[in-house]
Amino acid sequence: MELSTINVGPAQRLVHYYRAGQGEPLLYLHHLLGLRGFEPALQNLASHYDVIAPYAPGWGLAKDDLSDIDPGALDLTLHHVDLLDALGLSKVNVVGISIGAWMAAELAAIQPSRVEQLVLVNPLGLWLDEVGGEDAFAQHPGFPSRVLFSERGMREKFLIEGRDKIEAHVEELLNLRAGAKFLWPIPDTGVKRRLPRIKARALVVTSERDPIVPAAYGPAWQASIKDAALATLPGAGHIAELEQPEAFSTLVREFLN
Amino acid sequence: MKFHWFNLMPWPYLPDDFTEKHRSVWVDVDSRLFDPVKSNRVYNDYLDLLEFAADQGYDGVGINEHHQNAYGLMPSPQLMAATLARRTRDVSILLLGQSLALYDPPTRVAEEMAMIDCISGGRLISGFPVGSSMDDNYACGVNPATLREKYLEAHDLVRRAWSDPDVFAWNGKHYKLRYVNLWPRPIQSPPPIWIPGGGSVETWDFCAENHYNYSYLSFSGYIRGAQLMDGFWRRMEELGAEFNPYQAAFAQQICVAETDAEAQRLYEKHARYFFSRCLHVHPGFADAPGYRTEATIKAGLQSQMAGQSSAMNQAAQLSWQDMIDKGFIIAGSPDSVAEQMERVARTLKVGHVVCLLHFGDMPTSLCRYSTELFANRVIPRIRPIWNEYEDHWSPRPMPKAERAVPRDCPGTPDETAATVAPLARVV
Repeated sequence: MELSTINVGPAQRLVHYYRAGQGEPLLYLHHLLGLRGFEPALQNLASHYDVIAPYAPGWGLAKDDLSDIDPGALDLTLHHVDLLDALGLSKVNVVGISIGAWMAAELAAIQPSRVEQLVLVNPLGLWLDEVGGEDAFAQHPGFPSRVLFSERGMREKFLIEGRDKIEAHVEELLNLRAGAKFLWPIPDTGVKRRLPRIKARALVVTSERDPIVPAAYGPAWQASIKDAALATLPGAGHIAELEQPEAFSTLVREFLN
Repeated sequence: MKFHWFNLMPWPYLPDDFTEKHRSVWVDVDSRLFDPVKSNRVYNDYLDLLEFAADQGYDGVGINEHHQNAYGLMPSPQLMAATLARRTRDVSILLLGQSLALYDPPTRVAEEMAMIDCISGGRLISGFPVGSSMDDNYACGVNPATLREKYLEAHDLVRRAWSDPDVFAWNGKHYKLRYVNLWPRPIQSPPPIWIPGGGSVETWDFCAENHYNYSYLSFSGYIRGAQLMDGFWRRMEELGAEFNPYQAAFAQQICVAETDAEAQRLYEKHARYFFSRCLHVHPGFADAPGYRTEATIKAGLQSQMAGQSSAMNQAAQLSWQDMIDKGFIIAGSPDSVAEQMERVARTLKVGHVVCLLHFGDMPTSLCRYSTELFANRVIPRIRPIWNEYEDHWSPRPMPKAERAVPRDCPGTPDETAATVAPLARVV
């Protein structure tokens, strides 16, 4: 599928995004590794929703925008508000995974009446000393995102195979660079204080085999959001939508319906 | 040529099974391996060695900064420089250096360096590295995405704080200070600035623009270093900088004995301690996402595809002869060492050598022996190389006769001793 582009906000920042499907608008905010095209999980969702999947500033084609965005929540969240304005979307459902779940939660907290339903999968951005979590940004630079998958070899399968090895590896490192900017040195973004502002009906999902966001974070997110349910994805790692597109999209669809 | 005696100050008691039982010498190194009581002797021995080197006629004594690191016991090089400022007389104090982005406000660095320059009578060389990912990002928590910005801003702030005689406001992106007014100020205006780097083009350009010394501090030796220094000199030429070997420094592990065989017998085990235990760094701490620029990442991956290892401890498995042949270490009789050192000077075109004459768990007495042989039987033979160039990157201290001398040091003016002594008796 071809990427679309749109200019958003006062600086007219160029956003690359995928859009497909029919139905209510569903904004999908990606994980630490960006987008692998219009992924199978998104295709599944597109049969029921108008799916919009943008690159966040700093990731993929937007790698050069990273320096214009401050590390905190404000710039990034206003960017997403600008995006919704530019797309003319007054109400949306938002699905975010990993760092995208944090962005989704911030958006839902700052514009609570705009986000109707919210799905947060393996959300980063909240820190519990007693739970901790593996450091996604202190990995071997030769295979830096191996830890984001439940099995060895999945990094190569999903990120490298069929592509120029160096190009794919550089993109992987640059995507992690973008994530690290917002989550360094501890993924505590302060979102916890803003979660009670969320009005959306919400679902918090954790993956059974995610060392980055251990399942114990699920109840912590749930407890701070007024109307939140909790679910788990058995067997999945942090990047659950690539590993288990069927289970992922089914879970999202069943909740939204 | 100029020779600076440099000590990383490694912890000498890492156990034999360190590399099997521990994942890293840096960042999350097991603190139970540090013994504060033993460190009393370690620190004092190392400081004694630096003072000994100063007496042996080295041009400078060098120290640096590392955090949560068992091969570098100097989180604060300023503390070491402060004691050296008092306990040495004529040598340069090569503070190589202080990672500017770690200090908020960075004027603290400007203040401390000014103090050292004042106390030492203008003998300070100020080193401003960006710092390693292990130190800056992992141990000190600086965001890799903004590290370089902060570094550059801190540099501009320190330079202005040293030179602007008036109170000024600094409204930067990362630092905001309503009243900057450094007190004290350095004797040298400014102290020579050296930039330790690992090969990024941005750093070379920065040195060229500001007329700074570029110090290549690696542990992979002069043969690997030659390629990088070639790049540096090519870039300097492109930018129109006039060639001067003193604008570059290179760090090299060196050990000297009466014969080549004796050098192996005396030093091999200490070199192995250094290359295997001290450089045993968890790869996950080597390179935080965002620490390197996109261009440097690409270049790094390409050279790895070409089979070049980037591991810090790549020398650990080599034979002694291979360590020498590949340039990781310069070792042997004074003749062999002088010959190898001349190759360093000529191939890298460097005027300053940062001599790593202590490494690993080398005992003090052995290190003194090597230090003395190098000073007396190697340096005189290679000293004249680059005589035709003027060194603009060494300190310009106060005239010796005008410099203050601590009261109990050799060279104390008699009249001071005379005034102090009777008072001491009364007390």
